[in-house]
Amino acid sequence: MDRPIAYDKLAREDRFVRMRARRVVELKLEQGLPPFPDLASRESIKERVHGIMVGELQAMEGAGRTVYDFPDAPWEFAMDMARQVWDESRHVEIYIRLLEHLDGYVGEFPETTILWRCACAEDAAARVAGVNRGLEGLACDVFNQLVHIARKIGDPILEHAVDFVLADEITHVRMGSKWLNALTEGDPERRKRAIEFQESIDERFNLGGMRREGEHEDVPISIATEARRLAGFTEEEIARLIKTTQRSSVY
Amino acid sequence: MVQRLAGHFSVEESAKRIRHYRYAEERMMRVMGGWIALTPELGAKLLFGRHVWDCAQHADLWGKRLPELRAPAQVSEPPNDAFVRFMDLVESPEGFGQTPQRLVGIYGVLKPHLLATYEHHLAHANQVYEPPTRRILQRVIEDERRHIAAGRAILTHLLRDDGARRRAHAWEERLHALLAEAGGVSGDGLSHLAVPEIPPDAADVAGDLVELEKPVGQWPLPPDLEAALATHALSLARGNLAAVAEDLAPEFRSAGEEFYRSALATGFERHAVVGAAKIGSHRQIKLRLESRQGAVVLLSRWAQRDGRWRVVEAEVVRTEPA
Repeated sequence: MDRPIAYDKLAREDRFVRMRARRVVELKLEQGLPPFPDLASRESIKERVHGIMVGELQAMEGAGRTVYDFPDAPWEFAMDMARQVWDESRHVEIYIRLLEHLDGYVGEFPETTILWRCACAEDAAARVAGVNRGLEGLACDVFNQLVHIARKIGDPILEHAVDFVLADEITHVRMGSKWLNALTEGDPERRKRAIEFQESIDERFNLGGMRREGEHEDVPISIATEARRLAGFTEEEIARLIKTTQRSSVY
Repeated sequence: MVQRLAGHFSVEESAKRIRHYRYAEERMMRVMGGWIALTPELGAKLLFGRHVWDCAQHADLWGKRLPELRAPAQVSEPPNDAFVRFMDLVESPEGFGQTPQRLVGIYGVLKPHLLATYEHHLAHANQVYEPPTRRILQRVIEDERRHIAAGRAILTHLLRDDGARRRAHAWEERLHALLAEAGGVSGDGLSHLAVPEIPPDAADVAGDLVELEKPVGQWPLPPDLEAALATHALSLARGNLAAVAEDLAPEFRSAGEEFYRSALATGFERHAVVGAAKIGSHRQIKLRLESRQGAVVLLSRWAQRDGRWRVVEAEVVRTEPA
């Protein structure tokens, strides 16, 4: 197998419809719809859950590739990544069941591969910084908000299931912080590049101002400051993220 | 009492075998991790995802046992070059349509062989002074039984026709031959060990068997779109481009006619909707069209125009030779 593989080798059953994220947004805007599900209706929650399900699928695939792509990394690194593969596989199952709970089906909305592309960095340190800290940090934001919305609409199934996934994601961020430090020890240039990669992902996933500091009901994706603290993000990092959300260009 | 202390393996031999086991488990873990992205079928994809972690734990347990046997920790060592070639062959099927070969390599050959070898080792490991190794063997044996049962269930689901079963069998034979040449994972000729009977125990397998892809049935589409699709697919099957053109939205008419003329030059014998996704009020429809020459998977976006569903975009997303 190639190390790493080309982006377009990501394999799917026919029931998945893959599209570029930008195109999906354009088509929604043309129809006068919000570019991302706003969680204001059950249909919108279902669409968000579908998006998370494919995100988990790509996270599992990305972590699996990390296990394969870096055979010379420390053994404990491979162990952590293998554990993450297992976690993500359970998350996929959880979100498939939640989709059924919401009367949805796999493939009901298009899949975009923007997360997968981020998971294809060639350096292990950049990959854990980008995926475990950037994307899993985003997952903390999204899941924290979903737990809140589920509680508000009185859906304990959604609330409990997502809350357990959130706990796992916090663990994954911690893994990312640990390995970013360990893999770049004594190599400040590598560390700098990895952090820049993570910041580029943070910037991209601010989604043109969709992710913001604010109440769950008031913003499309609210930054989960408490969950991020638990995951090991520093106050400085959280403040920097909030600052970048105020200057992100339109998606 | 003397017989109770009789043993089959020296400390050094035991450490060597464990390095060989670790090589197989570690390599299998990495290969399955790499395959996840390359495997389209969700059931198989998730199965690999679950078992990567178990294999990692097996490799880790073996690796931690090594220093207790006067050997460096976490070292993998293949028994010989032939076993490396065997693992290279196991790893080699990475194509879109090669999931059965991937499953056969792991769940039809490698894991059953490991299970038989571990069982053999357990039967010969001394009960008085080798309990640490025995504990690990008991754990990995239990996991391998569960893995094999789950893998077989998914493989049976995927091998739907005689041709696929024949190809899978031929692949299995090829792998077995190379495994025999290597003398098995321990390199000592134990590749012939009989694989223990594994009942497809649904209760045990349930934790691994996540979801088999469901046969394509009725898609939840608006009735008028369903009717439009049926007519459209029939026109495509008959190669009736004039009728197909009637289904195209005005803004896509010219480009669409050209697209359908060049992309779908031949008629098709069978067709089916294999995917249906929503973007607001639009629908992305995947049609699979099959002929004796092969199959084409067509993705088209449908939207309401002048009170009826029409195609506003179309592309071929995959072609498959017969």
